[in-house]
Amino acid sequence: MASEDELNLLVIVMDVNPIWWGQQAQREPEFTLSKCLDAVMVMGNSHMAMTTTNRLAVIASHFQDSHFLYPCKNWTGGDGAWDGTMDETPNCGDGKYELLSVANNVVAEEMKRVMSTTEMKGNSTDTLLAGSLAKALCYIHRMTKELEAGQEMKSRILVIKTAEDCARQYMNFMNVIFAAQKQNILIDACVLDSDSGLLQQACDITGGLYLKIPQKIALAQYLLWVFLPDLEQRPQLVLPPPVHVDYRAACFCHRNLIEIGYVCSVCLSIFCNFSPICTTCETAFKIQLPQMMKSKKKKLKQSI
Amino acid sequence: MDEEPERAKRWEGGYERTWEVLKEDEFGSLKATVEEILFQSKRKRALESHGQVRLGMMRHLYVVIDSSRTMEDMDLRPNRLKATLKLMEAFVEEYFDQNPISQVGLITTKNKRAEKLTELAGNPKKHLAALKKARDAACVGEPSLYNSLNLAMQTLKHMPGHTSREIVVIFSSLTTCDPANIYELIKTLKSLKIRVSVIGLSAEVRVCTVLTRETGGTYHVCLDESHFKELLMFHVKPPPANAQSECSLIRMGFPQHTIASVCDQDSKPSFSMSHLDSTSEVGLSLGGYFCPQCHAKHTELPVECKICGLTLVSAPHLARSFHHLFPLEAFRETPLEELPADRFCHACQGKLKDKMVFTCPFCSGVFCTECDLFIHDSLHCCPSCINSQHSN
Repeated sequence: MASEDELNLLVIVMDVNPIWWGQQAQREPEFTLSKCLDAVMVMGNSHMAMTTTNRLAVIASHFQDSHFLYPCKNWTGGDGAWDGTMDETPNCGDGKYELLSVANNVVAEEMKRVMSTTEMKGNSTDTLLAGSLAKALCYIHRMTKELEAGQEMKSRILVIKTAEDCARQYMNFMNVIFAAQKQNILIDACVLDSDSGLLQQACDITGGLYLKIPQKIALAQYLLWVFLPDLEQRPQLVLPPPVHVDYRAACFCHRNLIEIGYVCSVCLSIFCNFSPICTTCETAFKIQLPQMMKSKKKKLKQSI
Repeated sequence: MDEEPERAKRWEGGYERTWEVLKEDEFGSLKATVEEILFQSKRKRALESHGQVRLGMMRHLYVVIDSSRTMEDMDLRPNRLKATLKLMEAFVEEYFDQNPISQVGLITTKNKRAEKLTELAGNPKKHLAALKKARDAACVGEPSLYNSLNLAMQTLKHMPGHTSREIVVIFSSLTTCDPANIYELIKTLKSLKIRVSVIGLSAEVRVCTVLTRETGGTYHVCLDESHFKELLMFHVKPPPANAQSECSLIRMGFPQHTIASVCDQDSKPSFSMSHLDSTSEVGLSLGGYFCPQCHAKHTELPVECKICGLTLVSAPHLARSFHHLFPLEAFRETPLEELPADRFCHACQGKLKDKMVFTCPFCSGVFCTECDLFIHDSLHCCPSCINSQHSN
């Protein structure tokens, strides 16, 4: 049993790439963004209902920016507690714990605002997952600093991913993963469409769970079964086995995965073949030449 | 021999009125001043960056720990040796976190001799185990600077030219007992491009000053335990590389991790090369890392394959060092009044309350003090730069 002074913070990062969700609405009309949001809010409500000291935060990850859906900046009760200063009373008449209904309303309002007001700037259509994770880590860091003396906080991040990986984010993603590992923050991943190598590495390095869901309609069931229990309860359950993570490096010249490569000692770029100059840092390498064989010349003269 | 001018000693300067720094506020409390001083020291560390200097990424470092009679002195709690060993454990962990492809070895010196505690290895477990065992060792006799440097040099001189060769000596005694002329050894170390740094625990010793000056290292004497930790952690960051160090392409292997279970029909149990020398562990295991060249099995990375000599690493190990190569720029400090009212920090969404806020020079994102420290110490990437890069 967790003690009263231990807080559990769950940060849910949702991928709301409009292009993927638009295509999804045409492929499978029974699973749309609003259904996904419902499943996520069921998970969020369950997490907050487990103990009064549990906290929640929800971030929407777009291709322009990442937005905090809950807690919202314009809302006075920023730390997850309702202090009764809202204009409308969140009374939905069914006796639900007010914090949960407030959270649901805020998330729905903010999501509508985000999806309707964001404009298309630029050409890239990849979700900025590394940026959302960086903001999540800063938020967790701030929450840890604001604790009172004697309270401890355990945090984890749950990523719900829909679109493909973006290779340009590799370095930022790895920085974020190492920062999370140092702060003992788990990163769990729930993947809806295609497997993501970056998230597999993130889950492996930080100790979280990676799951690719076979049936998207059952998202709520998978979230409650696999991702709701926190770290202490996970060893007592039989959860999906870990996936095989491909840790081979990609060479900088062809982007192939290689098993044996050459690494530049200055800039750590990886190449599949030996080349005299590093293309990244332009240092010239010393090539070891074979030694000259002088005695062979004498033998040739004698035979002629 | 010493033609370079010496620095002015502390007692030769004028009086420092250190009491004037502390100011009381209207309730007589010093809390605000103390926080200000701590904050300034944190910012100073964040601002010191080398810029575009080539760093030595693959390091071979020997740490020489003095275990002589003076280490039983109790000015560091519980005694100097135990305090040093505890800080060394933190140092070893932090070192492998920042330099995953480097190696560390430990040497102790007492009774006028030097002894290798652990060989140069890339895995922290052996070093941590050896440090725990060394807590019970007795401190006797006098240290020998010559013998310990000689012992380290025997191994370091065979290391390839593209790596950086370093020795850090934690020296607490004021004497040393050497079998030969140490100035000759200093010349040899200089010719082999080995950089020696010393952290003194008692006072400044002349031979250490000459040693560090000739080889290009640093020499500091610690004031108290927190200063000792700061001096030790200074050596975790990769140093600027020597001008003459060679750059070469190193051949490395990236093995796959096979996780096999007993119900898999193809998996066969095998011995791991890492446990060849140990007698206590169970030999056979199912999964592990197989060397791509000779298919020998190892249990952890990074390691040098015992059969074929290929260095085995995984891609995240190299990725850990990238933040040294592409460091994040320091943010600009601006006062809060210049911004429109009621702004929020872009990273943590908290309200901006401090007097000074930090702005990223590339994307103009505004951050609070805590986020600025966190971004520069742990995160190494600006959250709003990632977003603005994609809109271009």
